[in-house]
Amino acid sequence: MKTAVRGKTSPQTNFEDEYRSSLREYAAGGGELALGRAYELGRRALNEQKSLIEMASLHHQAVLALIRDAESDKQREESIRAGSEFLAECLSPYEMAHRGFQDAVKALRQLNETLEEEIKRIAYAVHDEAGQLLVAVHLALAEMALELPEAQQGQVTRIRELLNEVEKHLRRYSHELRPTILDDLGWVPAIQFLADGVSKRANIPIRIDAIFSGRLAGPIETALYRIVQEALNNAVKHAAAKNIWVRARKEHHGLCCSIRDDGVGFDPHQVQTASHRNGLGLVAMQERVSAIGGTLQIESRPGHGTELSIRLPLEDSHANSNRTRR
Amino acid sequence: MVGEIRVAINSDQDIVSARQKGRVVANELGFSSGDATLIATAISELARNIVSYARKGLITIKKVNGHNREGIAVIAADEGPGIPDIRQALRDGFSTSGSLGLGLPGVRRLMDEFEITSQLGKGTTVAVKKWRQ
Repeated sequence: MKTAVRGKTSPQTNFEDEYRSSLREYAAGGGELALGRAYELGRRALNEQKSLIEMASLHHQAVLALIRDAESDKQREESIRAGSEFLAECLSPYEMAHRGFQDAVKALRQLNETLEEEIKRIAYAVHDEAGQLLVAVHLALAEMALELPEAQQGQVTRIRELLNEVEKHLRRYSHELRPTILDDLGWVPAIQFLADGVSKRANIPIRIDAIFSGRLAGPIETALYRIVQEALNNAVKHAAAKNIWVRARKEHHGLCCSIRDDGVGFDPHQVQTASHRNGLGLVAMQERVSAIGGTLQIESRPGHGTELSIRLPLEDSHANSNRTRR
Repeated sequence: MVGEIRVAINSDQDIVSARQKGRVVANELGFSSGDATLIATAISELARNIVSYARKGLITIKKVNGHNREGIAVIAADEGPGIPDIRQALRDGFSTSGSLGLGLPGVRRLMDEFEITSQLGKGTTVAVKKWRQ
């Protein structure tokens, strides 16, 4: 990073000098030509990924210099007016980009909603449609059993037990795909339900220590559920964990939720940089967290387990238990 | 049409004069200075496209009347190579400038109405409008 910044030094000085001289030109009556330059400078700044804060500070210095050189109050006043016009022109490409990002965020949210709807549909199909088929199998089996000799009835019973097992699993999976608890009771009970199922299937104790009351906005609860789901899945499948701990707390105006395991661990740097298979899951989790305005911290070392910590700033509007939900 | 202003676009210099004409019309119509800036920006993007893809073209600026409202229309026409895939060109990130939201998609977001027609080998016309709030 250091070298990249140093590499940028010479065009940066150029840029700043150009900003100062163009602003000076505009203040001296440069008109549209100077404003056009302001717009071009803004476009360039955007492409060079200069932050708005950098731009504000550059502008501030440039205007101060103008004011310092002014010879009368009237000129000083003029410098300030010219300065704000110039700045608005320079920032208008940022306005365009800002609107672009707003649209992109909206599109991503919509995409996410569509995916969640799709998951609901699949969960329904697994639960109801497959369930009905199983009922039909049960009936066919019962009919067949009537004609079977006593000696083979035991086998039929065994098949019935297996079918019941299949049904139990299907129901479980469909609920975990999209638990109705998530909508009805919130993310903490939903995560408890999920952990319970994962724990039984994988035969790993999962300890949940969640002190968090109140509901969050629907998309946030869903995102938290999906992240914990992915983390538990990773801990069981890839980390070969023997124990998993999930912890959730309200901390410093925010929410902190962590998922820790004592599995094989990994080198986070390597996994995230290389196009590693597991890396994709982590990147997706990272993106889910940032989509709801939070941060994800990954701590792991080969042989020392893994801890994922989600931190999410909460505004008062989030923690509204009486919120009407879709 | 009354008050129709045409600016031939052949160089970066002409972009400045199109911006200036657009700003004058926007001010006459009573647009806020912030909106006038956004209109100038949209004109710049359109004129820039002409210079970079068609070399030369024409920008027409005029006042328009709608249902109980007034606005500004900007039409950018060129006889350049045309756009092979308009939907693609209106998507963010297609333009070589790199940054999200610049170019045609950016213009669309800055203005209230946006129309584009393009024919390969014949040229492109982009017509945009912005209504005074």
